[in-house]
Amino acid sequence: MIMLRSFLNALRGLPRPAVVTIGVFLALGLFGPYVTPHDPNAQDLLMAHTGISAEHWLGTDHLGRDTLSRLVASARTSLVGMSLVLVIALSVGVTIGTIAGFKRGWVEEVLMRIVDVGLAMPSLIVALAVIGIFGTGYWNMILALALAWWPGSARISRAVAVGVMNRPYIESLRVLGASPARIYFNHLLPTTIGAVLVYATAEAAAVALSIATLSFLGLGIQPPTPEWGQMLVDALPYLEEMPMQVVLPGLVLTAVVVGFNLLGESIALNRVPVPLPRRVLKQRRSIATTWRKATT
Amino acid sequence: MTAPLLQARNLSVDLFTVRSALRPVDDVSYSVGQGETLAIVGESGSGKTVLNFAPIGLMPTGVVTDLHGSLRFEDIELVGLPAARMRRIRGGRIGTIFQDPMSALNPALRIGRQIAEVAELHLGMTSVQAEARALDLLKLVRMSDPESRLRQYPHELSGGLRQRAMIAIAVAAEPKLLIADEPTTALDVTVQAQIIALLKDLQKRLDTAIVLITHDMGVVASIASKVAVMYAGRIVEYGSVDQVLLEPRHPYSTGLIAALPRPEDKAGTLFRGLPGAPPIMGAPQPGCPFAPRCPLVVDYCTDVRPPLAPAPTGSAAACHVVNDVPHREMAHA
Amino acid sequence: MGTLIAIRLRNAAALLVLATLLCFTLVVSAPGNVAVLIAELRTPKATFEQVRAVETELGLNDPLVVRYGNWLGGALQGDLGVSYKTGDHIGPTLGSRLPVTFTLVAGGACFAMLLSFALGFVGALWPGRFGDAFTRITALLGASMPSFFVGALLIYFFAVKLRLFPTFGSAGFSSWILPWITIGLLPAAVLSRVVRVGLEEAMAMPFALTAAAKGLSRRASLFRHALPNIAPTYINALGAQSGLMVVGAVVVEPLFALKGVSDFFLQGVLFRDFMVVQACLLIFLTFFIIVNLIADIGIMFTDPKLRRQGGAGT
Repeated sequence: MIMLRSFLNALRGLPRPAVVTIGVFLALGLFGPYVTPHDPNAQDLLMAHTGISAEHWLGTDHLGRDTLSRLVASARTSLVGMSLVLVIALSVGVTIGTIAGFKRGWVEEVLMRIVDVGLAMPSLIVALAVIGIFGTGYWNMILALALAWWPGSARISRAVAVGVMNRPYIESLRVLGASPARIYFNHLLPTTIGAVLVYATAEAAAVALSIATLSFLGLGIQPPTPEWGQMLVDALPYLEEMPMQVVLPGLVLTAVVVGFNLLGESIALNRVPVPLPRRVLKQRRSIATTWRKATT
Repeated sequence: MTAPLLQARNLSVDLFTVRSALRPVDDVSYSVGQGETLAIVGESGSGKTVLNFAPIGLMPTGVVTDLHGSLRFEDIELVGLPAARMRRIRGGRIGTIFQDPMSALNPALRIGRQIAEVAELHLGMTSVQAEARALDLLKLVRMSDPESRLRQYPHELSGGLRQRAMIAIAVAAEPKLLIADEPTTALDVTVQAQIIALLKDLQKRLDTAIVLITHDMGVVASIASKVAVMYAGRIVEYGSVDQVLLEPRHPYSTGLIAALPRPEDKAGTLFRGLPGAPPIMGAPQPGCPFAPRCPLVVDYCTDVRPPLAPAPTGSAAACHVVNDVPHREMAHA
Repeated sequence: MGTLIAIRLRNAAALLVLATLLCFTLVVSAPGNVAVLIAELRTPKATFEQVRAVETELGLNDPLVVRYGNWLGGALQGDLGVSYKTGDHIGPTLGSRLPVTFTLVAGGACFAMLLSFALGFVGALWPGRFGDAFTRITALLGASMPSFFVGALLIYFFAVKLRLFPTFGSAGFSSWILPWITIGLLPAAVLSRVVRVGLEEAMAMPFALTAAAKGLSRRASLFRHALPNIAPTYINALGAQSGLMVVGAVVVEPLFALKGVSDFFLQGVLFRDFMVVQACLLIFLTFFIIVNLIADIGIMFTDPKLRRQGGAGT
């Protein structure tokens, strides 16, 4: 409950465009495969590279597959991949981070040094190196990205955990005789998970981009599974004749990332005062004019 | 007597933020003569800082102010003055000292640069001349080891030295008016007296008028020649320092001065505070803002605004009760 | 400050050692028998003897410490081993490819700096106006568009449609412009936010009010008072972004057919050529460490509180 509440609290008052974009993305990710007008993998070489038509609203690719269907179906690929990466990375990160924040002392020292090393290296380089050693494949990609992403969540959860452990009520729980396990599972873990979920929404954009990038490079999602980055690289050789097939997956991917980035921006608290918008100033001034009448 | 250096007539300030619209300064009149010191006294939130900084355009981002009435400085009307002309007055003709010298000084620039900048801007000096001027100014504010101070950063100075640097910036262009917003509040008690002594000395040398914003009656007594007591955006009492401090007339100032600890108080004496709390700033109220806390309150205090009436003897007080009876009858009519 | 730099240098050296260990372990922990893999690459259906020969040739039977020592000793002399796939020595290949990646990243970094300051200042100078909205949207798009999409769009409009720049190859300055923009757009967007938010934060500080009290215009305050205060943050972010650009190069180099280190790395990853992956990773990690070291020293010079530490300050 605490988890859910702190998550919902953090999500309240988000920018409308972000909510709409992410809402559409989630809806397509969940129900996309059931609403595609065509089978996204059905090839028809006779229909290759047709333009916009009544049957193929957004045209077809070089193998005659329906672009709209593939764009829609890609949402599922992206959503599932993203969720898997984040779930694995967060599980590892939260575990390590809360243990560090709970135990403190040398345990924390050692764990956080490892986290520091992980954070010092760009995520995609880590992922690429891991794939380079262990080979390509769906699960290798997921694990490689999770390996690249856990240090961030570990750092956040350690910070949150230290904050929670320093609160007076934890001390009073201890005095009352609560066991360490009880404190850890009932009080520390739920609060930390709630806070880290917020971080996860902010990181979703980067994970989505990484999956697309790896697929673009031929190291992530393997054909024929539809994926935006891979659709783009497939269409690239025909850039001159069929630019739309390159632009469409790029635009859709950008829209999703914009949504998550807007979300992340609004979560990252920006308390800098901004100039008063003209509309607000007009409202405020109209209030002041009533004073002048009343007092003179 | 010639025209005063600074004269406010029925000055009001409306302040607009994202959250609200309020009038922190409501129909205020006062004047400051050349070389004179006016202390503006009041609780935090009484509008004393807005009164002084809004008319010269010194408001933080996200705050818009509208001015009504008149504020004349050296025959220039400051209300409605274009921003570009205001900039020439700020720093040049009017110097400003802020409460916390640590945050008011730029942490990334050397002290010398921050002072020299004013001389470059308002005295048309080259950077070499301005650096020399900065050195003179550091000597003027009696900074020890001024040569090396020029090259130091704010975080390397103590609080008192920082405030001296701030004062050097304020007087760099020899302004005719110095606005000091609680210049001693953030300092150690021992340093406070030094800073006040320095201000008095500079005032004498440069023939500068000072508007001192403070809530410290000790500071008021040691430097001010005139006092304006502010309450909820209005001046409730205005007079010479002797009049206001020794024979306060407005019930608020009476309470304020009675609340000061006295040497004859025995150890363990309770604070003599004012009952109640000041109103939260918002829309201007029709009556006397002090009415809810006033011991002398009468029925029409909440409806009729008491004017700041000059009395034949003593200070001017904005109070129906302490002012004479005919006045009261007039208000009734 | 000298002592502070010494500490940074020592930390950087320690990190370098750590980086070599990391690269070494990565290859040692690779699944499957490396010797079999290599022998199979050389002669399909390699015999047991051939595998043995490979093992002794590469010293795969030595203790790990000896192998690490041999590898490190070779690496220090520029010998980073032999590509499993092509049999070429990696050192010379890297030597010829390094300038390409360096030019790409350095040019991209310059582009990112120019654009980030332009975007950041337009927004901060005229907040709430059209320019502000424009820069915000540009920054948001720059931070959200995948670099392969940016590159594809640039190629389509400027090379295919307008024929202003060559599509690929390295034919002088003009062929670099599109790769520089492609690789620099993301860091530019991130850095422009650093500039924008940093300037806004600085202008909300009390010292900005002091600047106004001195009679400085908003523009003068931004340049003379706010700008020096964002320098440390900016340098820090620039260091991090320069490191990230090596990652960006993995996409940009193949896209523009540039034969750089990142492209080499990608080939290594695609063909599971461990030695190439290892060598490139070592180069990358060294690059990150050096860039961070430079950034740290840069921060020391721009942050007065760090500059004077241990100095003659009071």
